[in-house]
Amino acid sequence: MLPVLWQGMVTGCLYALGALGLVMIFKSSGMVNFAHGALAGLGAFMVYALHAGEAQWSWSAAVLAALASALVIAALTYGAIAPLLKRSDTTATIGTLGVGLIAQGLILWNFGSNIVRLDLPLPPFRFELLGMNVTAYDLAVMAATVLVVAFLFLLIDHTRLGITFRAASTDPFAAQVCGLSITRVHLFSWMVSSVLGVIAALLIVPTTFLSSTTVTTFMLQAFAAAVIGGFDSLPGSVIGGILVGVACNLFSFYVAPELLNAFLLAFMLASLSLFPGGILSKRMGSRV
Amino acid sequence: MSNSAPKPTKAASNASHRNETIASIGTVLVLVLLPIWISGYMRYSLTLMLAHGISVLSVTFLIRFSGEVSIGQNFFVATGAYTVAILNSLFGLPILFGVLLAVALSAVAGLVFALPSRGLSGVYLSVVTLALGLAAPDLLLHFSDYTGGVEGLQLDSTIVASWPTDLQQYYVALAALVLVVYVIHRFRHSRIGLMVLTTREHPHAAASFGMTRGTARLSAFALSAAIAGLGGAIFGITTSMVSPNSFTFWSSVTLLVGSVVSYYSTRIYGVIVAGAFVALMPQILSNYGQITPMIYGAVLLGVTLLANVGVPAAMRALRLRSHRHV
Repeated sequence: MLPVLWQGMVTGCLYALGALGLVMIFKSSGMVNFAHGALAGLGAFMVYALHAGEAQWSWSAAVLAALASALVIAALTYGAIAPLLKRSDTTATIGTLGVGLIAQGLILWNFGSNIVRLDLPLPPFRFELLGMNVTAYDLAVMAATVLVVAFLFLLIDHTRLGITFRAASTDPFAAQVCGLSITRVHLFSWMVSSVLGVIAALLIVPTTFLSSTTVTTFMLQAFAAAVIGGFDSLPGSVIGGILVGVACNLFSFYVAPELLNAFLLAFMLASLSLFPGGILSKRMGSRV
Repeated sequence: MSNSAPKPTKAASNASHRNETIASIGTVLVLVLLPIWISGYMRYSLTLMLAHGISVLSVTFLIRFSGEVSIGQNFFVATGAYTVAILNSLFGLPILFGVLLAVALSAVAGLVFALPSRGLSGVYLSVVTLALGLAAPDLLLHFSDYTGGVEGLQLDSTIVASWPTDLQQYYVALAALVLVVYVIHRFRHSRIGLMVLTTREHPHAAASFGMTRGTARLSAFALSAAIAGLGGAIFGITTSMVSPNSFTFWSSVTLLVGSVVSYYSTRIYGVIVAGAFVALMPQILSNYGQITPMIYGAVLLGVTLLANVGVPAAMRALRLRSHRHV
């Protein structure tokens, strides 16, 4: 049981990263980004094309290039979505679905529906602890998650941009009256979210394979994590991610891996019934 | 969406209302007469178009009456189709009885899945529908004792033994579509329908009439699921065969694209356009396998942008110009 729990924790960290991105966008602009998974997958495929394809770039150069283009794509996506967001959140959400389909189409068009392999440049290092097999990959995922989350929370708690973000997410109108630029806050959250997505996608790839649908389905877990943690709570989404990771691993190990999506559905509905608005909502007081 | 458009004057709105009624009646007449000239595979395609039209209406209904996006309608469509198929092929019950049960079951399913998130932001419901959409084919494959697994189930879709089957399928589908369009039209002007619509703009006013936002969303989602179930039942009758391949997550994406393409129209001609899009696009695009998602995505984004940004801007420019001449 312990190894299953450990593996769940490791993948849960990645779901947490994915969920953080979704929550960032929801907090700042009040919409769901259904393109999150497909755009993150596009980033991972870009690393594959630059590193393992004909270009043969070094690992770090490929990752940097992918992150840079993820930033550009996030800005472009926001540029397309922003006029829709002014009309209604629903229209903007439909727009993100369109963007997601375009991204998925781009992946299919460039790389086909084949499954490709992409490994992280990690030393073949492993040790045993209480019967758990701890590999360099597990440690790398943990370290990356802790670093990214710590950096993000420092950014939001202590920088000017972070304070702007919190102000705009609490009360966009008041923030605008105070002279803060809502567009800048939105752009900030979209860009951070896309970087988080690409990092999560790159780290998830070694456990599965990379195909046009891997990352998109992986994002259902991220969505579930955001729902369970509460869509308006950043710490909640981290806890939700780890919970979803552990629960999914236990379910696919002991019950039926092919029913994972149905299990996530049931898990979400149960969590919504027991903790409407997220597991952290009670402790933080009532929010709408 | 339509509610943000400027209110036309009463006379103008009466005239446009009359035009819409004439166009609707004309469309129904044409649809009733079409099978005289069209037969064979084309007739089957037309029937499919009507069946998909009903399913698209379920998406449109939800967007218009509750402002939520559902990308899990394939779950309810599958519920409808499999209810009819299972009752017919395993228990030998007549399909019309199956259709009634399909609608009821889908409505209950919609109620159950929307209940936990009734008091929360619509985002939660959207994510639940995403999970529904992805889970539907897995569940169909898993419970293969009842659903027939990958191969699916065959059903006998004749109602009156002496008539040609494809004609019966066509008219059953047409009757169902006209019924749904009429019911939605009546619902739009009914007391409850008006209260449901009021919850979007003036939640407090609606609450004082006894309709809270949560109740409104629940009823809209349950009704939408019921419509989707009917669409699925008609789809099953049309194809005489149901298999998990017809109810993937992708199929609910195409339903949403169809709804957007018809610009959320609940008029019968709009629904026909949407149904035609959903039924015929896969055949037109069959040569472009890899980039099909890209085309759908571009259509989705393009139409939404055009309808919400392009057209209002053009209208403003037009109005400005006409004012200058005066």
